[in-house]
Amino acid sequence: MSLDPFNAFLHRVEAGGDWRVGVKDVIDVAGMPTTAASKVLERVPDRDAECVARLRTAGAAIAGKLNTHEFAFGALTNSPHFGPALNPWDPARTTGGSSGGSGAAVAAGLVDLALGTDTAGSIRIPAALCGVTGHRPTVGLVPVGGVVPVAWTLDAVGPLARTAAECRRALEIMAGRELPLEAPRRVGLVTRLFEGADPAVAAACEEAARALWPDAEPVVLPLHEEISTITQLVMLPEAAAVHLPWLRTRLADYGPDVRARALAGLLLPATAHVTGLRARSWVRSLWERELGDFDLLVAPAMPIVAPRLDAIPPDYRLLIMPYHSPAALLGLPVTVVPCGFVEGLPVALSLTGRAGEDGVALAAAEAFQRETDWHRFEPGGGELYTNPVSSDERG
Amino acid sequence: MGSESNLVSTLRALAAQQGVEPTDEDLRGVLDFLERILPALAEIEERLPPEAAP
Repeated sequence: MSLDPFNAFLHRVEAGGDWRVGVKDVIDVAGMPTTAASKVLERVPDRDAECVARLRTAGAAIAGKLNTHEFAFGALTNSPHFGPALNPWDPARTTGGSSGGSGAAVAAGLVDLALGTDTAGSIRIPAALCGVTGHRPTVGLVPVGGVVPVAWTLDAVGPLARTAAECRRALEIMAGRELPLEAPRRVGLVTRLFEGADPAVAAACEEAARALWPDAEPVVLPLHEEISTITQLVMLPEAAAVHLPWLRTRLADYGPDVRARALAGLLLPATAHVTGLRARSWVRSLWERELGDFDLLVAPAMPIVAPRLDAIPPDYRLLIMPYHSPAALLGLPVTVVPCGFVEGLPVALSLTGRAGEDGVALAAAEAFQRETDWHRFEPGGGELYTNPVSSDERG
Repeated sequence: MGSESNLVSTLRALAAQQGVEPTDEDLRGVLDFLERILPALAEIEERLPPEAAP
């Protein structure tokens, strides 16, 4: 077994076979502990989560459980109990999170595929910062049985891999059906997210987007200023409800940031969640009216490259929420693809489809990866990666 | 708004009613968060169209 210098795994086993799959440690694998990188939870389930069972039936060899932000409830993967996942492009930097072990394990070649979860960016952030491909599915596409929830109405389980084709293969197995691959007909560029990014990141993303979608139109997301707050109003009370039994008995065993978020959800007024749900309906109706003709929205996946672990910007969460909250709130599918480097660190595009149209985002990602090599670069200057799943494999 | 210590006491009582016993430091953090989000919540409530249903 190769070394794990990036603290990607929390529990690791020898995996035979040629499809090594790592599983974020909020997803049950029979016979392996599920800790959610916490001190609070330690169960050894006797059955796989449904998504894992489906992959195993299709030939996956489970390689172990991957590091995560405590309870997948944060964007860094720096559990005080298990230590941070380290970014293979620069181990002094964060992987992002919460599926940081998943991003690191794929980037370092320790697995062929990793499962992550995404409530408000937790697949997309580490995919972007670790230079791999990730897909947040439409909410409900992949079963969440056997997965520790963050917020029931926002949670999605999805794949991270080197290529979009590999993500699609895994997603189709987990969803139990083929995803119609359709080229987008009308593409929008979310200009505010380019303008809000670090200029070098924005320039790399814009160059990549313009190369493949030269006719993309600038778009403005409805209520974009408010969407991050609305997402918090939905997510925090749901998370507090998930954690309430443990908040009563194990409060001191939580790390400070997760404890603070769970308590905030507990102590918001009762109307906050209802207002959040009503506002979600409002956003959805405006989105359908103003953006309903667009079947792909393109933006930087992150506004910055991976920050150093000892210099996380104080406003990190506020900075990144506008990039991830819209798809989280509306349950939309997003594929993240590497699209360049800034100072030797990966940057990425997010490709957001309409609800239920995961195949459009993935088709756009596969088209992008047929035209570019960004997804083939490996940390440490390794050889270019060869995709084992050809994009026309399905015939 | 009351003094911070009064507000922390109120939050402590609300938490206790739900069986949770945070420290004062925890509650001061919650208070900071609530002071940021509650005005935004009020603004959203004001702007919500009445027909918007969960």
